[in-house]
Amino acid sequence: MSIKIGDIPYNDRIDQGIDNEFMRQAVSSAQGRFRTGRLTQAEVLGDWEDWRQIGEEIRTHTLENIDYYLYQLSEQVEKRGVHVFFAETAEEANEYVENVIKKKKAKKVVKTKSMVTEEIGLNHALENAGATVVESDLGEWILQLDEDPPSHIVTPALHKNRQQIRDTFTEKRGYDQTDSPEELAAFARQQLREEFLSADVGITGCNFAIADSGAVTLVTNEGNAEMVTALPDTQITVMGMERIVPTWEDMEVLVSLLTRAAVGQKLTSYITAITGTRLDEEVDGPEEYHLVIVDNGRSKILGTEFQSALHCIRCAACINVCPVYRHVGGHAYNSIYPGPIGAVLTPLLDGYDDHKELPYASSLCAACTEACPVKIPLHELLIRHREIIVEEEKRSPAMERIAMKGFAQWASHPAAYKLSAKMARTALKPWTDEEFVENGPGPLKGWTDVRDFPAPGKQTFRTWWHNHQKGAKK
Amino acid sequence: MKVSLFITCISDIVFSEVGKDSVELLERLGCEVDFPEGQTCCGQPAYNSGYVQEAKKAMKQMIRAFKDSEYVVGPSGSCVGMLREYPHIFKGDPEWEKEAIALAEKSYEITQFIVDVLGVTDVGSTFKGKVTYHPSCHMTRVLGVKEAPQTLLEHVEGIEYVELPVKEDCCGFGGTFAIKNAVISQEMVKEKSQHVSETGAEYLVGGDMGCLMNIGGRMRREGKDVEVVHITKILNTHEQGGEGHEYQNRRYSL
Amino acid sequence: MAIHNRDKFLNKLAANLGRPQRREGVSRPEYTVQPQHRVFKDYSTEDLIAVLQEHCKVIHTDFVRTSKEELTTRLREVLDKYEARSLIASNDKRNQEYGLDLAYQQFAEEIDVHIWDASIGKENQVIAERTDVGISFSDITLAESGTVTLMMNKDNGRSISLMPKCYIAIIPKETIVPRMTQAAQKIHANHQEGIEPPSSVCFVTGPSNSADIEMNLIVGVHGPVKVTYIVVD
Repeated sequence: MSIKIGDIPYNDRIDQGIDNEFMRQAVSSAQGRFRTGRLTQAEVLGDWEDWRQIGEEIRTHTLENIDYYLYQLSEQVEKRGVHVFFAETAEEANEYVENVIKKKKAKKVVKTKSMVTEEIGLNHALENAGATVVESDLGEWILQLDEDPPSHIVTPALHKNRQQIRDTFTEKRGYDQTDSPEELAAFARQQLREEFLSADVGITGCNFAIADSGAVTLVTNEGNAEMVTALPDTQITVMGMERIVPTWEDMEVLVSLLTRAAVGQKLTSYITAITGTRLDEEVDGPEEYHLVIVDNGRSKILGTEFQSALHCIRCAACINVCPVYRHVGGHAYNSIYPGPIGAVLTPLLDGYDDHKELPYASSLCAACTEACPVKIPLHELLIRHREIIVEEEKRSPAMERIAMKGFAQWASHPAAYKLSAKMARTALKPWTDEEFVENGPGPLKGWTDVRDFPAPGKQTFRTWWHNHQKGAKK
Repeated sequence: MKVSLFITCISDIVFSEVGKDSVELLERLGCEVDFPEGQTCCGQPAYNSGYVQEAKKAMKQMIRAFKDSEYVVGPSGSCVGMLREYPHIFKGDPEWEKEAIALAEKSYEITQFIVDVLGVTDVGSTFKGKVTYHPSCHMTRVLGVKEAPQTLLEHVEGIEYVELPVKEDCCGFGGTFAIKNAVISQEMVKEKSQHVSETGAEYLVGGDMGCLMNIGGRMRREGKDVEVVHITKILNTHEQGGEGHEYQNRRYSL
Repeated sequence: MAIHNRDKFLNKLAANLGRPQRREGVSRPEYTVQPQHRVFKDYSTEDLIAVLQEHCKVIHTDFVRTSKEELTTRLREVLDKYEARSLIASNDKRNQEYGLDLAYQQFAEEIDVHIWDASIGKENQVIAERTDVGISFSDITLAESGTVTLMMNKDNGRSISLMPKCYIAIIPKETIVPRMTQAAQKIHANHQEGIEPPSSVCFVTGPSNSADIEMNLIVGVHGPVKVTYIVVD
């Protein structure tokens, strides 16, 4: 897999999402819970705007000095026995990991949930290297068995219901119990426990690397990341280059924001900072540790007006409040990064060719911007994308360009504008019935397919105003 | 206090009643209202679609039109929110930046103006009916006006106010979004219409005609008997009437 | 150990940021707001224990408070409740101070007791995997989130708190701080003074859980299913 998850055209994906009743119900209910959780925790914590402020300041400072902090991180972890590889592309990252796997003659790899490994298509490379890959996050494991892409960055199998999961387990793993979530999870525990114990290599993503003392921090609930980092003798961590903070103190603030914004928890069940290989006489933890730091298009966002998109801490708060996401679901974005942050990030990382519709898949309601715990102005970045599509890429539809040129003429010439205000009612007359347009022409059609359009009032404001003024002068 | 009405193009062309109510309301509160005839559209349809150069032409016209105004007051959170963005859009423009800042600083959404500038929370209106309120996205999240409309509604005599479920959710209007992504917009407005029905309200009130046109248009299509009204209508309904007050003669288009 | 491809990579970042690469001279700014220090600022230890106890309900964790003298008895009760036939415990210096050395000897008469033993290497993991209950000390306890902080070392393996179905954390009262802020501050300050953090620091908050199936909270996935905190005065 890569960032892009399929080849279905945009309009078809939207229709498929809207037609998927179960998915929409699941997403809607999940959004409700996520939203309540986040708002409740923000209120209990108090001073939420101050927290967002410091979160933004930490991220801004870190990204402005990202070369410094990555340098520091690599120096520190190297001292603690870690091999560090800086990968400019997905291919370089995959090749490095593949070589480690081959050198270790690894047969089995267990993984934690990691968006960046999805992004670079690491599993494919691992299989090329002859290893069996086991996703150990419950949601990811379900998707892996079912060969389905994630639809959410925190709860990847949100679009699946328990019957579908039971069927997958039955078909792929000989499961023979009910579809109760508890029984399904207990089965996964037992199946995956064997995988953890027999794995040669553990692969993780990274929530926050700590530059000054050197550490990789993982934030999870299930305990799978603990298993992956404690049991296999070889560990590989793949991190997007921007997943870094200066110090433990900064990590702490961002973790406080992340767990609240993502799942409405004060802290998740497990937050583990791994500072290097296991020390003398220690048993748990890797004896060989590789840290792969991935660019894969991120560096070209630096220094642009999109830099704040790299501040993202992957909490999905924007996804969880987005009304568009609620109705179309994650797969409609055709990216492993769905929702508002996905609509901003995907075209930046993977270009406009396959993703030029995404910046328009938003009513610009700004719920995302308001929810973001590190204050990324998401809806403004979407507008900026549109501007680039129009002015630099010149990819907007010809009819739209003509209409907008007309708009500019109209709105900058009061006489033309006034005339149109006067004429509007007459112009719409042929389609008007009882003061409403129910079946409008041209661009109005999309509107009137599902709702009525009001006919302009009989007396224009300007006529009234002149009379009103005369009356006042009397 | 001298106030220039920024009627917004949607009310200028389609919902003239909103302009009339705004004028009467402001006058009743002691303002001297004028209407700069050179005003057109704030530029938002072009700006939000990525046509910044085209949008700027409209914006310059607006800056010119309101150059001499003391206060600019408009019955829309979204359009006033756009005016407030001008400084950011003209940043670094030697000719227009200062003027953009000047316009942004004197521009107010009408309920915001009444509460924050005039310091009035009770406009002395009376309205009988069960009312729910949709706080539009740009009003609350772009302009940052969350309290004023509800404060004013709470003080209206005779009103029965019911809270709209998940009121902060977008109605699916989003300007050109409603046309460009009509299929998604339609699902959003259906949901909003459903939420309005759940309140059992007779009136849906809002501060942005774009959103109200969307929700109202959907509810009319669904045959629902809910009247959609701009907040200025509620605030301009009062028993005493008043000079130049002709509410009785009006009929709303929605 | 090696670092590969660093210069080229970092130079590109610096170039995009419009300046030469930075290797020194960067210090963290004084952030304009620092709300993290205000949380439970003036709370006494007793107040913090009350916060911890209350939050244990949210994180599906049993809370017990006792004295050093009573610890063995209370621990025994928890083990009985978990129907433990085996336990694994860290080889902690504090075992003696808290009378756990004797307690474990006593328990060993009835159930399998394994004290982490660095000399047997991976065998510790194998034992942990088949053991019912893990027991270790919290090094820093976060009242706000109900979190025990486990500093790992050769006598305190991660498997103890991870592999058994049940986990018991012994919480010395003096380890309780308001929140993660204080733990991070301490680790940060230690690092500044040249005291390196352990190979891993684990913040554990109750039993493992997942909401990946239809957003239903399932308590107990890969890690422990049941957790008890015993606060010792």
